[in-house]
Amino acid sequence: MILIIHLFTFDFDMVRKIEIVILFVCLISLPSLFIFLEKEEISISEKRVLATFPDFTWENYISGKLTKGINIYINDHFPFRDYAVRFTETFRYNLGFRLQNEQKIIVVERPKIEENSDLSGNLDSADAKNYLEGIDEAYSGSMLILDGKVYTQNAGNPAVSPYFSKMLNLYADSLQGKARVFSCVAPLSSAFIPLPEYEHYNKRNEETLLAIKANLNPGVYFADILGEMNQHYNEYLWYGSDHHWTGLGAYYGYVAFCKAAGITPVPLSSMEKKVKSGFLGSLYELTRDQSVRDRPDLVETYIPPGIETQAVRYNPYDFKYPQKTRVFCNSANYSTFICGDAPLIKITTNVKNGKKVAVVKNSMGNAFVVYLISHYEEIYVVDFRYSKHNLLTIMKDAQVNDLVFAMGMYGAMSRGTISLIRSLAYNINQDYDEVLKREREQEILDSINSIQDSLIVEN
Amino acid sequence: MLFSGLLDYFNGLLIDKFRQSKFIRSFGLFSSIIINLGLLATFKYADFIIQNLNFLLGTTFTEPNILLPVGISFYTFQTLSYTIDVYKNEVKAERNLIDFLMYVSLFPQLVAGPIVRYAEVAKETRDRVFSWEAIHQGVNRFCLGLFKKVVLANSLGILVEKYLQVQFNDLSTPEAWFGIVLYSMQLYFDFSGYSDMAIGLGRIFGFTFPENFRHPYAATSVANFYQRWHMTLGRFLRDYVYIPLGGNKNYQIRNILVVWFLTGLWHGASWNFVLWGLFLGVFMVIEKILKKYFDLLPRFALYGYALVVVNYSRSFFYFDDFEKLSVFLGKLFYSPYPIGAGWISDLSSYSFLYVVVILFCIPWDEVFPKSSKTNQVAGKYYKSFSLVFNLIFLIIATALIVDDTYNPFIYFRF
Repeated sequence: MILIIHLFTFDFDMVRKIEIVILFVCLISLPSLFIFLEKEEISISEKRVLATFPDFTWENYISGKLTKGINIYINDHFPFRDYAVRFTETFRYNLGFRLQNEQKIIVVERPKIEENSDLSGNLDSADAKNYLEGIDEAYSGSMLILDGKVYTQNAGNPAVSPYFSKMLNLYADSLQGKARVFSCVAPLSSAFIPLPEYEHYNKRNEETLLAIKANLNPGVYFADILGEMNQHYNEYLWYGSDHHWTGLGAYYGYVAFCKAAGITPVPLSSMEKKVKSGFLGSLYELTRDQSVRDRPDLVETYIPPGIETQAVRYNPYDFKYPQKTRVFCNSANYSTFICGDAPLIKITTNVKNGKKVAVVKNSMGNAFVVYLISHYEEIYVVDFRYSKHNLLTIMKDAQVNDLVFAMGMYGAMSRGTISLIRSLAYNINQDYDEVLKREREQEILDSINSIQDSLIVEN
Repeated sequence: MLFSGLLDYFNGLLIDKFRQSKFIRSFGLFSSIIINLGLLATFKYADFIIQNLNFLLGTTFTEPNILLPVGISFYTFQTLSYTIDVYKNEVKAERNLIDFLMYVSLFPQLVAGPIVRYAEVAKETRDRVFSWEAIHQGVNRFCLGLFKKVVLANSLGILVEKYLQVQFNDLSTPEAWFGIVLYSMQLYFDFSGYSDMAIGLGRIFGFTFPENFRHPYAATSVANFYQRWHMTLGRFLRDYVYIPLGGNKNYQIRNILVVWFLTGLWHGASWNFVLWGLFLGVFMVIEKILKKYFDLLPRFALYGYALVVVNYSRSFFYFDDFEKLSVFLGKLFYSPYPIGAGWISDLSSYSFLYVVVILFCIPWDEVFPKSSKTNQVAGKYYKSFSLVFNLIFLIIATALIVDDTYNPFIYFRF
């Protein structure tokens, strides 16, 4: 009460005192909230595990990891963090005014490889690093935002893609007479920037893909996906807010595959179309540009007519503990296709023609593989990033006739990716239970070691 | 830091006690100078010295990679200035060890200056007065500094990285200038933001630290720029190097170049900083020699001249890779690349930021002197609404700091 009276008596000194008290309370309240509020473990919008509190060890302290770790931990778990992140986005967006039809180039920081990310949990760390480096090349650096759509400014490199062909040739050699091998590499979104000054990106994409074709042995099939997509240049081939192609874009990929494989594609008009709206994907999260947020994507799914499917996903090592899944998940994001990534998915259809296919893919393959259900009895979808299965054994056991490598171009340009795919041929079959047991033992060993380390330091 | 502190504490006492004996007095002074600079050389310049020795003599000493103690460039100069001042009998030696160590380790300005001289805080180390007025001023100053650093400098930093790193290879000349001017601004708001926070914190605790910046971008010459930029370092080198060397009277040109050689070296253990210092030193020499012609020029031409030279010199500061540096310096004159499509959009979509930056660079106190009515009215308004300003500054700065670890993973399952 006294405070209020003082406020109204216009005692300036008192007003100042109150101001200082208010600021002080504000400064103190956030850290206290930080201490008492419950901490989230993962961030949904960023698709990553939030940092954990660093271990207090002598080495961490000396190397500066401890203080750095604490800093990251506090930032990751700060009260109202999501609001702060959105606020920053709006704030940055309003640092100036917008031009119409503006081309904006956004620099995206190199993503960091975090030890505790789920991805590296599924891969050996060396593989994960190689793989991530490949992706890194494609997605760090500049991105172009044009009318709320994000395009990568990477357009491929014809000098690197022949390594991909060589790997395919190896597969073709060992499968000679048993199965056909297909290269189904999609271009990058940079090929479709609708401005004359970026036409050379289309050309560069083409050169990169043709370099794959030129280095394939005779007998290895090449699907000209870019050529097919170029005929539909102005259609909705890529999401504006995500780094994947749309269901429609993947359809043209499928048409190109059919041409190479000598089968008749199912016409688009005969398929059932389902639409979900409001999709904001990875490139929105990465650029966090409001013009992208203002233009969310449609997720259009085309379902081939008259096909019944059953799908099962397996663990990375063997066929134990299968889980049911679906070919079309009907969700409002890219995971609508085969319900997202899994180490190995087996799809069984009601088609009876004796034909079976194995598809080696990264996430770009998800939207593609759904169209194959019209042409094969069984489809084995192998995600080379997560699978430790032996691809050749799977193909031999199931008597698979076709092997399709379906992925985006950045996959074909990364040595890490190529070596991961190559290793699918050499993986030694392992028992999943054994692997889990070993991992648990290793974990226990690690924790004993770290306890011992800390004891040594304390002594 | 403890070692430096103890050393100069005892040297101060020694000099004070044996003031009559020239030998002991000089011993105290020189041991302080040699040991302090020796420590600085070991910690900060060991790698640099060994690299150069290896290069010149073809030897293969390994670089020791010693960890740099926080604030060594600042506290070394502070303790050193104390001993020199005691030697010159400008201050009395501090007898209370705790008070002296507090002066050395004063945390607000330990990491990034201003470089405080002992005489300036001697009285306040012993008896500080608690005053709401001072706290209020300090809080205002701190929030302003935080805003400058986190909001202005960091936002500029995003653009700087884009122009001077990511798009480095195909920069056109206007874009190169754009990038380097933004970097120049980023440096200013970064550094002066830190100084503001230090001065503000000092004020809250009852200290009055010297000012470190006085609107440098309103300078009319290179020399004038550095009378307004990092003033406490300039003052240190003027009093302890330039004047002892002979100042304006003897070998002035040599003195200027020596001081600027040292200024460059102080900024970092690398030749590009030395080059930067000498580049500016040469311009200051030219300004001295051609003074009467410079005086004839209109004021706006002088502003332009200072801005061009200072911003150009920032390139030496940014690129420590000589190959890149020389390419970039060339691009500032001629580049075959056309202006990129994104530049126009960056001009428009950050336009408010540029306006705020420019407003902050204008020396309003010089445009409207303290006695003028405008200044008084503005000051009054600022005081009345300072809480609002401070809260806005704090909220924006906090959000931006928290945002720093926002790090989405695009290649993880979607």
